[in-house]
Amino acid sequence: MSPGNHLVVLPIVLPLAAGALMLLLDERRSTLKAAVSLVAGVALLAVSIALARLADAPLPPVYAVGSWPAPFGIVLVADRLAATMVLLVAVLGIAAIVFSLARWHRAGPRFHSLVQFLLMGLNGAFLTGDLFNLFVFFELLLAASYGLALHGSGTARVRWSLHYIVMNLGASLLFLIGIALIYGVAGTLNMAQLSARLAEIPAGDRVLAQAGAGVLAVAFLVKAGMWPLGFWLPSAYAAASAPAAALFSILSKVGVYAVLRLWLLLFGGTIGADLLFYGGVATLVFGVIGMLASQDLGRLGGYSLLVSSGTLLATLSRADGAVTGAALFYIVASTLGIAAFFLLAELVQRSRALGADVLAVTAEAFDLADEEAEPGEKPGTVIPAAMALLGLSFACCALLVAGLPPLPGFVAKFALLAGVLAPDPITGRAWALLALLTLSGLASVIALGRAGVRIFWAVEEPTVPRVRVIEMAPVAMLLALCFALTVAAGPAMRYLRAAADALHAPQTYIESVLPPR
Amino acid sequence: MELIVAILIGVLTGSGVWLLLRPRTFQVMLGLSLLSYGVNVFIFVMGWVRDGVPPIVGQGAAADFARFADPLPQALVLTAIVISFATTALLLVVVLAARGLTRTDHVDGEEDA
Amino acid sequence: MRNEVLLLLVLALPFAASVAAAFFPANARNAEAWLAGAAALAAHALVWAAYPYMSHGQVLRFDLDWLPALGVNFMLRLDGFAWLFAILVTGIGFLVVLYARYYMSPADPVPRFFSFFLAFMGSMLGVVLSGNLVQLVFFWELTSFFSFLLIGYWHGNAAAREGARMALVVTSAGGLCLFAGVLLLGRIAGSYELDVVLRAGDAIRSDALYLPALLLVLAGTLTKSAQFPFHFWLPHAMAAPTPVSAYLHSAAMVKLGVFLMARLWPVLAGTDAWMWTVGVAGLITLVLGAYVAMFQNDLKGVLAYSTVSHLGLITVLLGLNTPLAAVAAVFHTLNHATFKASLFMAAGIIDHETGTRDIRRLSGLYRFMPITATLAMVAAAAMAGVPLLNGFLSKEMFFAEALGVEGPSRALNRALPYIATLWGMFSVAYSVRFIHGVFFGPAPTGLPRTPHEPPRWMRFPIEFLVLACLAVGMFPALVIGPFLDIGVRALLGVQAPAYSLALWHGFSTPFLMSLVALGGGAVLYVMLHRYVARGEGTEFLPPLDAREAFDRALAAVRRWARALERLLGTQRLQTQLRWLVIAALVAALWPVWLRGLEWGPLAPTPIDAPLALVSALGAACALGAAWQAKFHRFAALMLTGGAGLVVCMTFVRMSAPDLALTQLLVEIVTTVLLLLGLRWLPKRTPFAWTRAGALAALPRRLRDLALAVGCGGGAAALAYAVMTRPLPDNTVSRYFVENAWPLGGGTNVVNVIIVDFRGFDTLGEISVLAVVGIAVYALLRRFRPARESLDTPARFDAADDLLVPALIVRLMFPLIGMLAGYLLLRGHNLPGGGFAAGVTLAIAVILQYMAGGTRWAEARLVIRPASWMGAGLLLAGATGAGSWAFAHPFLTSHTAHFALPLLGELHLPSAFFFDLGVFSLVVGATGLILIALAHQSVRHPWN
Repeated sequence: MSPGNHLVVLPIVLPLAAGALMLLLDERRSTLKAAVSLVAGVALLAVSIALARLADAPLPPVYAVGSWPAPFGIVLVADRLAATMVLLVAVLGIAAIVFSLARWHRAGPRFHSLVQFLLMGLNGAFLTGDLFNLFVFFELLLAASYGLALHGSGTARVRWSLHYIVMNLGASLLFLIGIALIYGVAGTLNMAQLSARLAEIPAGDRVLAQAGAGVLAVAFLVKAGMWPLGFWLPSAYAAASAPAAALFSILSKVGVYAVLRLWLLLFGGTIGADLLFYGGVATLVFGVIGMLASQDLGRLGGYSLLVSSGTLLATLSRADGAVTGAALFYIVASTLGIAAFFLLAELVQRSRALGADVLAVTAEAFDLADEEAEPGEKPGTVIPAAMALLGLSFACCALLVAGLPPLPGFVAKFALLAGVLAPDPITGRAWALLALLTLSGLASVIALGRAGVRIFWAVEEPTVPRVRVIEMAPVAMLLALCFALTVAAGPAMRYLRAAADALHAPQTYIESVLPPR
Repeated sequence: MELIVAILIGVLTGSGVWLLLRPRTFQVMLGLSLLSYGVNVFIFVMGWVRDGVPPIVGQGAAADFARFADPLPQALVLTAIVISFATTALLLVVVLAARGLTRTDHVDGEEDA
Repeated sequence: MRNEVLLLLVLALPFAASVAAAFFPANARNAEAWLAGAAALAAHALVWAAYPYMSHGQVLRFDLDWLPALGVNFMLRLDGFAWLFAILVTGIGFLVVLYARYYMSPADPVPRFFSFFLAFMGSMLGVVLSGNLVQLVFFWELTSFFSFLLIGYWHGNAAAREGARMALVVTSAGGLCLFAGVLLLGRIAGSYELDVVLRAGDAIRSDALYLPALLLVLAGTLTKSAQFPFHFWLPHAMAAPTPVSAYLHSAAMVKLGVFLMARLWPVLAGTDAWMWTVGVAGLITLVLGAYVAMFQNDLKGVLAYSTVSHLGLITVLLGLNTPLAAVAAVFHTLNHATFKASLFMAAGIIDHETGTRDIRRLSGLYRFMPITATLAMVAAAAMAGVPLLNGFLSKEMFFAEALGVEGPSRALNRALPYIATLWGMFSVAYSVRFIHGVFFGPAPTGLPRTPHEPPRWMRFPIEFLVLACLAVGMFPALVIGPFLDIGVRALLGVQAPAYSLALWHGFSTPFLMSLVALGGGAVLYVMLHRYVARGEGTEFLPPLDAREAFDRALAAVRRWARALERLLGTQRLQTQLRWLVIAALVAALWPVWLRGLEWGPLAPTPIDAPLALVSALGAACALGAAWQAKFHRFAALMLTGGAGLVVCMTFVRMSAPDLALTQLLVEIVTTVLLLLGLRWLPKRTPFAWTRAGALAALPRRLRDLALAVGCGGGAAALAYAVMTRPLPDNTVSRYFVENAWPLGGGTNVVNVIIVDFRGFDTLGEISVLAVVGIAVYALLRRFRPARESLDTPARFDAADDLLVPALIVRLMFPLIGMLAGYLLLRGHNLPGGGFAAGVTLAIAVILQYMAGGTRWAEARLVIRPASWMGAGLLLAGATGAGSWAFAHPFLTSHTAHFALPLLGELHLPSAFFFDLGVFSLVVGATGLILIALAHQSVRHPWN
C-alpha cells in the first residue's frame, strides 16, 4: 500500500498520540503541554490540507485499517466531503487551542488532552466508512465534548451539561438500536455494502431496516439540534467555556453530516425528505425566534447554530446536487463564523456587567485552591484599541450569521437560493425557503444589531477589556479565512460541488470501497 | 424461548424509559443503565443463532460457521458495555456535582414550583 | 491606460484608502483629509479619463472569475449612465471630504470617520459599476452597513444610535428583498449579468414572476430612497455628522434607490403595475415630504424632508413610463445632488458657527456671514425651482410631463398637474422659510457662539456647487447637455427621446404653473410664518413619531419572540426526554405502521425453563427498580444490579462467555461506583401521600407509563421479529469465524474481532474510557459535597455497607492480580482479554480502598492512573502505527514466532501488545474514576 494513503488515518492517530502523550506529562507542566497540543494541531492542519488535495480525485482514497479487506474490516474513506470536514476540524482545533492558552487551559486539568481526543473523535466520525465505527467515534467526540462542556466547572456549566449529557446518552442508545436493526437484516456494517444490500433485501426485512434507519436519524438529529430535540443546545453551549463552545460549533454539523452521508448513501435521499424539510423549517423558525428573544451573546450564538442547522436540514432535504454543494459551502462558512462568534462573545462580555454570570462561574471555579487557579493573570501583551477591534470582529460575525456581504454567508445564501429556485416551476417549498432565509437574515440583523449597539455604542465609558493577542489572533484567523472564502468562493464551490455530486452518485463511493472483481 | 428473551428486552427497555422520564437524577441514572441492559441484549439477539456454541473455534482447519453463535454482535455488545459503563460513571459524577452545586437532585437543578 | 485597469482602480482606490485611513493616529485631521481627498479626487479623475469612451457610447467592462459554477463573475461595467453617477459620487465625495476636514472637531476620532466614509464611497462605486446584479446587491448591502456606521458615528447620543439602527434595519430589510428579487430576475433572464438582463426586458415583463420580482426589487429601492411608506428612517438619520448627511442624502445613499430604478427602467418599467407602485409611492412621498418640510424647525430637518420630497419627484418621473420623464428624472437627480449637498453644508456651517440649527432661535445671520448667506440663498432658490437655476429646469420638465401623463387612472392623470403645482408651492414655502428665517430679521440673541464666516476652504465646496447650479441653470445645453446626453443614451438606448435643455420655452403651461407655485408659495409662507410664530409647530397630521413607533415595534417583536420561545421551547429535561422518546417511538413504528411487521419464518424454539425463570427474575428486578428508585435508592440499586446479573446469565446461557464475563465485572464496578456516589444524594423520606397530589400527577404518570409500555413493546416486537429470522446468509461474521484462527491467530473469535478484525473500534472505545476518566477526575477535583450530606461520617468506609472483612480483602489483592494477568494472557484464545483483566485489577485496587480506607490504601499502593492511561493508549497506538514500519496499514497485526528455552515455541501476535495497552488503560481509567470518587470522603464541603 503506498505510504501516501497513510495520510487517511493520520488525522485520527495524530490527536490520539498527542492526547495520550499529554496524559503522561505532569499536571503542572502546562507550557510543555500547550506546546505539544499546538504542534499537534498544526501538524493536523498540514495533514488535513494534504488530505484535501488527495481526496480531490475521481475515486476517493480508501484505507483498510488492519489491512482487513472491506467489508470485513473497518475502512476509512477520505472523499471530498470527509476531507473538507477534517480540514474544518483542524482549523477550529488550532483556533480553540491558541485561544485557550490565554487562560482557559489552566481552568481545569487535562484540557489539551480533551481537545485532542475531541479532534480525534471528530476526524474519525468524518472519515470512517463503517457504521459501528461511526458510533464509536461519535461516543468519543461526545465524551470529550462532555468533558469540555464541564471544563471550568461551576453551577451553570454542570447544570446545563447534565441536560446535554442525558439527552445525548439517550441518543447514543438509539444509535445502537438503529445499528443493531440494520445489521440484523443486512448482515454487514460496512456503509458501502449496506448501500448496495439495503436495496435488495426482501420487503419484509426492509421494514426493520427502515425502522432502524428512523431511530438512527433521531439520534443524529438530536446532535444537529433539530426542533424539538435541540432545546438543550443553546443553554449548554452558552454555559461552556469559550474555546469549548467554539469547538462545539462543529458538533451540530456532525449530526447534519451523518444524516447527509447515510441518508444519501443508504437510501438515496428518497424516504424521509419531508421530515427533514419540515424539521429543518421548524428548527430554522425556532432558532430565529430564539435569536430575537436572546440578550446574552452565548445564547445568540447557540441559536444561530440552530438557525444554521435548520437551514441545512431544510435545504438538504431537496437532495439536489447544486443545493447540496451550496449547503456544504454554507456548513464551512457558518461553522467558521459561529466559532469566531463564540470566542468573541467571551472577550466582549469580559467588558460588560451582563456577562457577569458567565465570568462568575469561571471565577467560582478558579477561586478554589487548585494549582491551576489564577485565571490568566499572567501579564500578556494586551491589544491597543481592543474595543475597535472587537467591534469590527463582532460586525463581521454578525454579517456572516446574517448572510450579508462581504462575508461568505452571502455567497452561501445566494448559492442555496439559486439552487433552490432553479427547478421549474418554483414549488411552494422553494418559496417558503426563499421567504425563511430572507427573514432569518433580517432577524439576525435585528438581534445582532441590537446586541452590537448595546455593547459597543450604548456604553458611556466602555471599560475596555484586557484582550490579549493570543486571544484575538484566533478570532482574526477565523474571520480572515472567511474573507478568503468569499474571494476564493469559485474554487471552493467547485470542490464542494464535486463533493456533493459524489454524494448523490454513491456508485463511486461504493466502487472505491468494494472494488468490483 | 425467543418470546421470553424479547419480553425481557421489552421489560428492561420499558422500565428504563419510565425511569428516564422521572424528575430525580438518580432515577434517570438507573433508567439509563436499565436501558443499556435492554439495548445490549437487543444488539446481542440480532445475531440470534439457535443452539450455537460459543464462538471459540478449534485451531487448525477452517471452522464451520453454522455451528457457532454469531460473534460480531457479541463484539459490538462488548464495546457497547464498556462505553455505557464509562458514560454511566461520568453521569454519576455529573449528578453528584450538580447536587453539590445546586443543592437539589432535581434534573433541572431546581425544584419545580 | 487599459480601461479594465481603470475600472478596477476606480473601485479599489477608496477601499485601499479606507484601510489606510484606519491606521492613522486619532488626531490626524489633516493627514486623513489629504488621504481621503486625494483618493476621492484620483477616482474622480479616473472616471473623467473614461469620458472619451463614454462620449462614443462605448461600454467598458472588466471581468474576473468569481463564481463560474453559478454563472456569476466579478464584473465591472461602465456605461454612460454609470459614468454619470460615478462622476457625481466621486466629485461630491471629494467636496464633502474637504468640507469635513474643517467640520470635524479635533476631539472627534477622525480615522474612524474617514475610514468609514471612504469605504462607503467605495461601496457606492461598487453598486454603480456592478456588471451583474448579484454583485450589485453585494455592494448595495455594504452601503447599508457603512451608512449605519456613519450615521452612528457620534454613538454617544441615543438619537444617533437609534437613527443608525433604524436606517440599518430598514435598508437592509429592503436589501434582502432586493436580493430575492434579483434572484427571480436572474432566473427569468437566465443570467445575472446586467447586459443580459437589460436585453431581456420583454421576456421579464411578460413572465409570470414579473410581479413578485418587481415588488421585491421595489422593496429594496423604495426603502433605500426613503419613499413612502419607508420614508421615516431618513429624517432620523440626520443625527449623523453634517458631512455624512451632505453626502448620503444628496448624492449617495438615497440616490441608490433611484439609480437602480432607473437602471432597470428599460426592463421593469412600461407596465401598469410599475406605474401604480412606483408612481403612486413617489407621488405620496413628493407631497408628504414637501408638506412636512414646511413645519420643521431644525434646519437639517427641513432639508431631510425636502430630500424625501425631491426623491419622490424623481421616483414619480420614473414611474410615469415615458422616456422623457426618465430623462427628467436623471436630470433632476444631478440637480438635486448639487443644490442639496450645498444646502446641507451651509446648514452645517450655520450649526458649526452658531451652535444651533433651530430656525426659531436663528435670525439675521446675513450680517454675520454674508457670503455663506448668499450661497445658501442661491442654492435654496434652486431647491425652490426659481428660474435661472438648475432646479427650475428639471421642475419645468416635471410639470410638462405631469400635463401629458397617460396613466391607467384618468382621475389621477387629471389631478397630477394640480398636485405638482401644490408641491411647487410647498417647496417654495419651505425654501423661503429656510432663508428668511435664518438670514433675515433681527440679530439673533442668546446663541451659544457669536457667528462669523467659516474658514475659506470650508466654504469652497458650497461655492463650487452653487456655481454649478447657476451655470447649469443658465446655459444648460452647454454645461450639462453633453453629459446628460451620455447618461440618457446609455440608459435608454434606442428609446432615448429628443429633448431640449433650453432655459426658455416661452409662456407654456408649465411656466404658468411655476409662476403659480412661486406666488402661492410666497403667500403660503406668510401664513405659515404667522402660524409657526404662534408657537405650535405641528403639521396637521396624526402625531406619529416614527422612531417611537419603530422602537415599539421592535420591542413587541422581542416580547412575542420571548413568549414564543417559552411556548415552543423548554428548559426542562423531562420534557426534552419525553420528546426524544416520542420521536424515537414514531421513527421506529412509522414504517411498521405503513408496511406492517411480519414475524420471520423460523418456528420459535422450545422454552428452556432455567432461562425462562432467570428472565422472569430479571424482569421483576427491573420493574422493582423502576418502582423503588424514588424513595429506596439502595434497594433500587440492588435491584438494578440484579437485572444486570440476569442479563449476564442470559449471555452465559446464550453462549456468549466473553459478554457474560465482561458484564459481570462491569456490573460489580458500576455497583461500587453507585454505592460510593449514593451517600452524596439527599435522603428522601417518603412524603405524606395525598389524594390530591396523586391525582394531579396522574395524567403525567399515565402518559409516561404509556410511553414506557410503548417503547418496551416496540423493542420486544422488533427483537422478536429479527430473532425469528435466519441470519442473513451473506453476513460478514462468517468471514470472522472462518478466519479467526488462520488469519487472526486466535481461537476466541470475539476477542480476535475486538483486538484485530475491528481493533480500531477498540482503540476508539478505550479512548472513550480515557476521556471519561479525565472528565470525572477534573470534575471531582472541583467537587464539594453539599453540606447536609455530610451528616454521615466523613471517613470513607464503604466496608460497613459491603461487610467485606478487611483482612480477606487484603489477602485477595495478589490473587485477584494474578487472575487479571491470567485473563489477559488467555484472552486471545479463551474468554477474557485486556478489558476484563483491567477491570479485574481495578476492582482489586478499589477493594483495598474499601477495606482499608483511603489513607491506608494510598500509603501502600502508589498508582498513577493518568500514566497508566497514557501508557496504555500509547502502547495501543504504537502497536497500530508499528505496522507502518512494514508498509502495512494502521493496526495490521503480525505474529512473531520464536523459540525460548523452557517455554519452547512461542507465538506472540502484535494484537497481544494491543490488548496489553487496553489492559493498562482500563486499569488506569477505572482506577482513576473509582479512586477519585473514593477521595471525596476526605474532602471538605463548600465553605
